[in-house]
Amino acid sequence: MSLPEIDLGAGADARLEPADRLRRRSPWSRAAGRFSTDRAAVTGLVVVTVFFVVALGVWLGWWGGNWAETGGGQWQSPSAENWLGTTILGQDIFARAVYSTRTAFEIGLVVAISSTLLGGLFGAISGYFAHSPVDAAILWLKGVLDSIPFYLFVAAVAFALDGQPFAMHIAMIATFWTTTARLVRGEVIKLKRLEFVEAARSVGLATPRIIARHIVPNTFHILLVQATIVFVAAIKSEVILSFLGLGVQDGVSWGLMIAESTTEVIAGRYWNFIAASSFMFVLVMGFNLFADGLQDALDPKRAGR
Amino acid sequence: MSERLLEVEDLSVEFATEGGVIRAVEEVSFGIDRGATLGIVGESGCGKSVTSLALMGLLPRPAGRVVGGSVRFDGAELIGLDESRLRKLRGSEISMVFQEPLTALNPVYTIGRQIAEVARRHLGLSRSRARERAIEMLARVGIPLPDRRIDEYPHELSGGMRQRAMIAMALVCRPKLLIADEPTTALDVTTQAQVLEQIVTLQREFGTAVILITHDLGVVAETCRDALVMYCGEIVERAATEHLFNTPRHRYTQRLLEAMPRIRSRPLTSLPVIPGSVPEPDRLPSGCRFAPRCAHSGSRCELERPRLQRLEDSDVACFYPANVEADGAAT
Repeated sequence: MSLPEIDLGAGADARLEPADRLRRRSPWSRAAGRFSTDRAAVTGLVVVTVFFVVALGVWLGWWGGNWAETGGGQWQSPSAENWLGTTILGQDIFARAVYSTRTAFEIGLVVAISSTLLGGLFGAISGYFAHSPVDAAILWLKGVLDSIPFYLFVAAVAFALDGQPFAMHIAMIATFWTTTARLVRGEVIKLKRLEFVEAARSVGLATPRIIARHIVPNTFHILLVQATIVFVAAIKSEVILSFLGLGVQDGVSWGLMIAESTTEVIAGRYWNFIAASSFMFVLVMGFNLFADGLQDALDPKRAGR
Repeated sequence: MSERLLEVEDLSVEFATEGGVIRAVEEVSFGIDRGATLGIVGESGCGKSVTSLALMGLLPRPAGRVVGGSVRFDGAELIGLDESRLRKLRGSEISMVFQEPLTALNPVYTIGRQIAEVARRHLGLSRSRARERAIEMLARVGIPLPDRRIDEYPHELSGGMRQRAMIAMALVCRPKLLIADEPTTALDVTTQAQVLEQIVTLQREFGTAVILITHDLGVVAETCRDALVMYCGEIVERAATEHLFNTPRHRYTQRLLEAMPRIRSRPLTSLPVIPGSVPEPDRLPSGCRFAPRCAHSGSRCELERPRLQRLEDSDVACFYPANVEADGAAT
């Protein structure tokens, strides 16, 4: 059979022009483009960045180191010296709120990263080997962890670890990975039926490599969004747990500040409460805006631009 | 080194389903010489794709399994070979092109990276050498500006380009056998012709044997030296393409050819169709599987299963084959 000669040489350059402008745009750069036009998301990112810098500064010892000093007078009102007043022990409330930012980020990051890694790993394994004994075991473990009331579980872990500073982290990681794993499992079950997985097998790749290199990268959008959700959930849970006395054991956190303030509020001393709850509110709000924008930007169905 | 590259003998494949065990492929035998082309034709569900997956040891597990027969590739038995040895063969000695190039390419990697991955794994090339090789392959499959196209993602390419990229990936290690499962079905007709032409050109250049699986008889006529027709998991006719088209022996082949669209001298009053429908795989007739739909079937067809038998230039599984002088009911 003879075919009409298709000229792919000289004319090809001219025809590629429009495609050329889009050439270097990977899925990630497209997502970044969508994100940057979302005003709320960018605002969220700015807020989160500011808080992150504050937390980093505390970690590097630039500020907030004086959170435990009892120099000032008791229950001072806000002044040039103590921007948000002082506590019953004469500690600077602003310094305590700033130092607590570091506590919040430390908990958020540790819990978000660990539970995402754990959830991604277990989710990918149970999804790829769906309906096998391995999958059944992972699902069973998830079911058991999900069925224990969260605060009871944290109390149990804290008790078992006998006041270890990381008891709270471990309890949160152990409960938060299950949602991520469930989402990843569903996505992997969908992905593994696609032809590119069969194609990967047909070129002779081994199963662990197919899971790690071809399936898991296709779930990154879920992992990323889930990590941001867990980050916020961890910060909020820390506040509640510290308030209940199950959380932060050394140092200070917004939850501990709110716990201290419960008696003060009755006495008409609001600054501890206001400082801790506004810091937390602004960070959580900013992070939620950021996470929403991220979710929209990473949604391939909205990939208009 | 013998001429024969692949010899399939009495290959049977079964699937475990909720309704019981279904035999998807029944004692299929065929072979292909080095550098030759073979077309496998049949309608959806006749077992052609399952046969090709069985050759590569890629049947969906645990549901599908080979229950009998042998597949000898380049002198070595593939059935029962352990997974790691099979993996070494896949992509380097035997490779595959799939029907839908968009889903067969991983959306999160550039095509260059996917092609290079195969070259790195099987040929042990360095990153930069593998990239050069990928660019060279893209040029070979007719992609313009390959050194720029290599960094594009599958969604940035047209259907034809994606399929060319798939072919480049399949041929990057110069395999001895390429299995193309409906490689042009998802493409429009002009692109189809180009892609087929490309496969044929590369097949000649590299000396790769090609098994082309399709439901399109026209594709087989254009590209394949030999052809097999499958129906309900069995081979009903096996012949050189020329003979198959000029003197179809099996009644099914004959009806398929009649149903092919072409320019006719007189307008048709109705479209030629094969009456009836393909039997459910769990309710196959015990005799000839085509008998219920065949205008020439006799009582023997319902009782006894016809075996492939030599009839002049063809192998045919039919008791009352077409185009036979002695047969009174000439067609």
